[in-house]
Amino acid sequence: MQDEESLIRRAKQHDQTAFARLYEAHFDRIYRYVTLRIGDRTEAEDMTQQVFVNALQSISSFNWQGAPFAAWLFRIAHNQVVDYFRKRRKRAAAPLDESLLVSDSNPQQMVEHSLDIKQLLSATRQLTEAQREVISLRFASELSTAEVARIMGKSQGAIKALQHSAIVALRKTLLVNTDEKVQKT
Amino acid sequence: MRKSRKLNNALDACLEQLLIKGETVEQCLQSFPEYADELKPLLETALSVKQVSAIQPRPELRDKARYQLYSVLQGMLPRKSLSSFSWRPQWAVVLTAVLVFLLVGSGTVAASANSMPDQPLYPVKLATERVRLILTPSSLGKAELYARLADKRVEEIVRMADDSELEKVEQTTRRLDAYLARITDLSAIQRIKDGAVTVPAVAESPELKRALEAEKAPLMFEQAERGKEKSAKDDRREKLRETVVHYAFSHPERLRALLSKVPPSARPALLRAIAISEDGYKRALESIDD
Repeated sequence: MQDEESLIRRAKQHDQTAFARLYEAHFDRIYRYVTLRIGDRTEAEDMTQQVFVNALQSISSFNWQGAPFAAWLFRIAHNQVVDYFRKRRKRAAAPLDESLLVSDSNPQQMVEHSLDIKQLLSATRQLTEAQREVISLRFASELSTAEVARIMGKSQGAIKALQHSAIVALRKTLLVNTDEKVQKT
Repeated sequence: MRKSRKLNNALDACLEQLLIKGETVEQCLQSFPEYADELKPLLETALSVKQVSAIQPRPELRDKARYQLYSVLQGMLPRKSLSSFSWRPQWAVVLTAVLVFLLVGSGTVAASANSMPDQPLYPVKLATERVRLILTPSSLGKAELYARLADKRVEEIVRMADDSELEKVEQTTRRLDAYLARITDLSAIQRIKDGAVTVPAVAESPELKRALEAEKAPLMFEQAERGKEKSAKDDRREKLRETVVHYAFSHPERLRALLSKVPPSARPALLRAIAISEDGYKRALESIDD
């Protein structure tokens, strides 16, 4: 924590090494969050870059006492996702991206893993906005309930309830998908 | 407390165990036997959902984003301009260094080469190094120089830790950290620059084909020159790699060897220097090898 605080102080003075450190620490989690929210790799890549550019441009306004840096960064990402959906509202939803990269040392497992993730992404599309936000922050970005509550501006109790209902909904969708697959074969 | 709220809490606690602590579903269920039947299917689904943490950005995206950030950062830095005279801060540094050189004499500059952070000539040593960096034009050449300077910083950390000059150890460690980050960034930037040089696509129209035929000889010459340039860059990258590999092993080892010799109060600072050198060199090598 102390380290991050000193990095932020330096980043505020436009120290590029300090900002690079912050970027390294949060880049993957922000990317996963955005990807799970919008399901499109190219858009997610552009948006993740833009999150960090926006963060860099407004880091002077970041107040350490207010909220942790990660919460502030995810808030920027959240706003961009909301903005993206607002612009897309009148158009059809983007097709699910087939080319999401997953890390696995075994190529066969990597292919299976990619298929599982594709199914999961498809299932998350059946969730409400708030449920999908909770799942993205909790599972893709691996944040605690307290951090998710802070980012979403809700109580921890509300987050726990959303998390519960989201997992129940995902289970139903995934089971239906599995049943359909079994019937086809 | 209502049952649903209790179940929400139990599920959340189990997810914490499952996602953060890496425990199994069975271990979670043992903590909440009264909700085991309801929790089990939910935790199995949670395990499937956990797979999304394996989604990774493409490595080139990281480089691209880093490069973009630096461009934005450069644009944000205050620019000093003096009327129509094209004045650049780095030239100011060179000029200052030349003046310092003339005023204090070449003997002083030479004497500063072996100075330590707690000595009066140390700022002269840093200024001389800065000038060397500015006068090194290529990204890979700069990266190589940063690696050599990192070696000097490690030498200084060793000497300062020996003398229990903790503040100086911390300060020099921060410099080491910044140098290793610069090696990583400069290697990445060079790669992006190399990638940006693409051979133009062959045009289909007959007019353009004829024009290209006429240009064939100069093009071949250009390609040969490009080949030479590429080979020189490859050599420089390989040389940089060798230097970084050597220091990646020797620096953390040298610092570790010191741990048993320094007073306990100096160990945390030294451990931090070890962690920074291990992490920094790992990143630098990844960036060179990508």
